[in-house]
Amino acid sequence: MIILTGRTLVSAIRPPYPYGPEFVGQFLFAMRLCWFPLLISTIAFGYEAPGLQGANFLVLFGAIDRLGGFFVLSSVREFAPFVDAIVLAGVAGTAITADLGARKVREELEALEVLGVDPVKNLVVPRFLALMLLTGLFDVYALIFGVIGGIAATLVNHAPLGPFFATFFNNAETTDLWGSIVKTTLFGAIIAIVCCYKGMTASGGAEGVGRAVNQAVVIAFLGVFAFNYAFTQTLLATHPEITTIVK
Amino acid sequence: MNELISTPRGWLDSFGEMTKFGGRMIADIVTLRVFKFFGEALRQAGILIVSSTLVIFGLVFIIGSECGIEGGYFTYGEGAPAYSGVFAAWCDLRELVPLVFGYMMAAKVGTGIVAELGSMRISDEIDALEVMGISGMRFLCATRLLAAMMVLPFIYLASIGAGFFASYLAVVQELGYVSSGGFLLIFWQFQNPTDVLFSLIKAMAMAFVIVIVGCYYGYNASGGPVGVGTATAKSMVVNLVSVHLIGMLGTQLFWGANPRAPIGG
Repeated sequence: MIILTGRTLVSAIRPPYPYGPEFVGQFLFAMRLCWFPLLISTIAFGYEAPGLQGANFLVLFGAIDRLGGFFVLSSVREFAPFVDAIVLAGVAGTAITADLGARKVREELEALEVLGVDPVKNLVVPRFLALMLLTGLFDVYALIFGVIGGIAATLVNHAPLGPFFATFFNNAETTDLWGSIVKTTLFGAIIAIVCCYKGMTASGGAEGVGRAVNQAVVIAFLGVFAFNYAFTQTLLATHPEITTIVK
Repeated sequence: MNELISTPRGWLDSFGEMTKFGGRMIADIVTLRVFKFFGEALRQAGILIVSSTLVIFGLVFIIGSECGIEGGYFTYGEGAPAYSGVFAAWCDLRELVPLVFGYMMAAKVGTGIVAELGSMRISDEIDALEVMGISGMRFLCATRLLAAMMVLPFIYLASIGAGFFASYLAVVQELGYVSSGGFLLIFWQFQNPTDVLFSLIKAMAMAFVIVIVGCYYGYNASGGPVGVGTATAKSMVVNLVSVHLIGMLGTQLFWGANPRAPIGG
């Protein structure tokens, strides 16, 4: 997998760049697959975990206006990136593995190599770049819909929305946002590499493709979560100012 | 315009099909017909335990420590680090452990079932079973559901333990904002056995849906190796959406009206 990462990076940078149309195609394909599951998932997650439980806790202290600040902490820093990565891995990643795996067992990849076309450059690189860009962009999308979940939780508790937004924007820091986007872009890279690798090494007919998808999604989840842990830990420890709660 | 209507209609169609399919599986279990193949169910239960437990524990462990550090930093920012146990208890038990359990079930068990049953369907093994007079539905799907219902509650309860342990490590040993005794006092005050039961119900509802969806897509796979891959990918979409929806409904139902916290009157 590390070899594949290295080869992907090198062939992404080194000219020629034949992967433009494939990149656009993959980008649109993954976007079409993911936007709706991501929408439902982020609203549900935002309403459920930080929204309802956070509001439950804050209502007891009569401090429901702090929910906005809590959302910066939970949604921007953790849950939006995390739901984003889970949906992208589960939806776009599995589709990529199924697609490449099917090509592998039908020996299309070998045929490409015989024709002198490099499968890494023409198949992996565009998927890698498309998934990186898309995961980064979808982070913002997930953020917006996560906050809609929070708004729903505020309204369910019959609280006004003004304080929610006031504390939200008081606590939101640029560091949080770039941290979130850098994190998801790297998630996209992990997902793309794992899924492409598993797809390209699938073997053994029908069962092989299914098993490749299964392993790809498990490894992608574990990789994303482990990376998330290390990244959050580093970001929080090196930027102490973002952990201060502003009134 | 026609296309616009046909997509939601397609979803409704497959939702209905899945419900019917799940109903037949449940009927097989409730009428005890599945016990004819109890040995197969036990074998599936063994496979579940051996192949999935460690992965689920691993993921829950990671998310438990994440809850721990986020909660630690949050309560420190509020000036009340002694209360990081609240965050750990609620975040772990009520929300994230069920959700993460659902994700990993969908990824490991759900897609595994699709891949296995799908390739059986493609290589006509299911038809061969039917010819031998064994109901493929009962032998393959109902046994898997029974196996999941037998072992998953225990796996789930153990994985809650993994999450708690990880939060404890993160807050007490790593950040060191609060002493071990102080953490545990708050931590145990903010949860009780009813919460564990609710959390278990939530996770089991997710597992139930995931197994049914997996069996449905695997059993109805078609179109060669590509078809199995596509069916696996599709089942993942359905599973992710339903895990989130069940999580949301569960929280609303169990904790929406009553926070169940030892604060105030």
